Amino acid sequence: MKKIRAQSDPIAPPNGNAAKRVSAGNGAKKSENGRNGSATRFYGIPMPGIRTEELSGNLIVVEGTDGSGRSTQISLLTEWLESEGFAVQTMGLRRSFLVGEDIDALLAENAVTRMTLALMYSTDFFDQLERRILPALRSGLIVLADRYIFTLIARAAVRGIGRDYLHGIYEIALRPDLTFWLNVRPEVAFDREFKKSQTISYWESGRDMSLSNDLFQSFIRYQSMIKREFEYLSKRHGFIELDGERSVPEVNRLLRRRIASHLGIRSTHYKPSHALSHLWR
Amino acid sequence: MAISASDILTVSQAAPTKAVAPRREYPGALVVVEGIDGSGKSTQLYLLKRWLEIGGYRIHFTEWNSSPLVKSATRRGKQRRLLTPTTFSILHAADFADRCERQILPLLHGGYLVLADRYIYTAFARDAARGCSPHWLRNLYSFAPIPDITFYFRAPLDVAVTRITAGRPKLKYYEAGMDLGISLDRAESFRIFQERILNNYDQMIETDHFVLMDGTMRVNKLQKQMRQILGEHVDLAQFAPKKKK
Repeated sequence: MKKIRAQSDPIAPPNGNAAKRVSAGNGAKKSENGRNGSATRFYGIPMPGIRTEELSGNLIVVEGTDGSGRSTQISLLTEWLESEGFAVQTMGLRRSFLVGEDIDALLAENAVTRMTLALMYSTDFFDQLERRILPALRSGLIVLADRYIFTLIARAAVRGIGRDYLHGIYEIALRPDLTFWLNVRPEVAFDREFKKSQTISYWESGRDMSLSNDLFQSFIRYQSMIKREFEYLSKRHGFIELDGERSVPEVNRLLRRRIASHLGIRSTHYKPSHALSHLWR
Repeated sequence: MAISASDILTVSQAAPTKAVAPRREYPGALVVVEGIDGSGKSTQLYLLKRWLEIGGYRIHFTEWNSSPLVKSATRRGKQRRLLTPTTFSILHAADFADRCERQILPLLHGGYLVLADRYIYTAFARDAARGCSPHWLRNLYSFAPIPDITFYFRAPLDVAVTRITAGRPKLKYYEAGMDLGISLDRAESFRIFQERILNNYDQMIETDHFVLMDGTMRVNKLQKQMRQILGEHVDLAQFAPKKKK
């Protein structure tokens, strides 16, 4: 674990006063925060009450649309990391104790508007960040995030909410050590999703946006919009883009290679256990 | 992989998206009351509302923290003490967004006089007292329409605190700012928390064009003043009942 620390530790001395300065209420300046210790782990001013120097674990994010193979890869990576002796914590959208179920209810009703939904997802995200991710990172765990702020930003941005606004909300979030983007064409995502559930979900086809009455067209147009947002985000935030259309073992090998070099794991050999062998195709 | 701290904050090469803040592109008007607990703001807004209602004006009254879609989450979070300064703040913003998008904005576009008991300044004052960055809070609520008039009811801390503690059997956990760990004594914690909020409100008087109202004045005199000021800022005739042809 020593080596991990060395890689993620800020170059500048840790700055434990960042949160204190914020509570003083002077609206700390962006530029001022740009070059201190906390800024290397956070995008901007960290949320109140966080001591960045305590965070010794690693945050690894896997992004991609439904049908990109994200969840499959997370399951395999968890098993691999555990077999290598790393403790893993996972997170994903709508899994917070605080509002996870409330969002499910909102999605089922359709009464919810775009800004409310965006902020509920944001609440869900920060609840998990503070109650699940940060405690895990303090204990030196590897956090595997099945989606992160980027999906939330992309979904809200295609619905017309300003990017500056969204970035402003998430500037207090933790910056991942590695962000992978499993990129697949919308047509491929459609095939995979349809095969999985024999139908296409209301939200994943962006039906709230009235793009087309034809579900296939709606799905393709919506996912193409999301993909464009991801292309932009990928550039801004240095995603590691992987071809999600390759086979599961191949994508997994690429993921393991990058993660192993980041964590200082020498061997990347891995074969799934019997329980997960059905994913290995 | 080298990323500078500014990259998430600068959004230069992005394809255009619409700005979020709608500003005065509607025929309605928005009247807001703000102030700490016990400053008399709710009583005064109630009286103003009754006056306008009885006169048959096109009005709608909206309260802080009351969206039916978000209510259950807020209630659970408070009861089980799950909220941190950040989630407390965003959850209230979600509540506000729901009322804003489904009530306040449609009504303003429909030509209503909207009366709001507490508005975004409550979040600015209170959440900053919890340690949230004022700059972050301003962005969080930047989609909110700017009020036509913001009445700021100000009463000395002692007066306001006495009004609240005399009338309430027990102060609630978050209401008293117990989550901040200022004091184990709920009354004392409440007092210190309210003092911070009061100071934050005071700092917004000029920047946010608050109309300062003396919360220690007699209720009926203060109400008379409030009605007069409202008439000076808002063309009330616009919301008056239409005469039958």
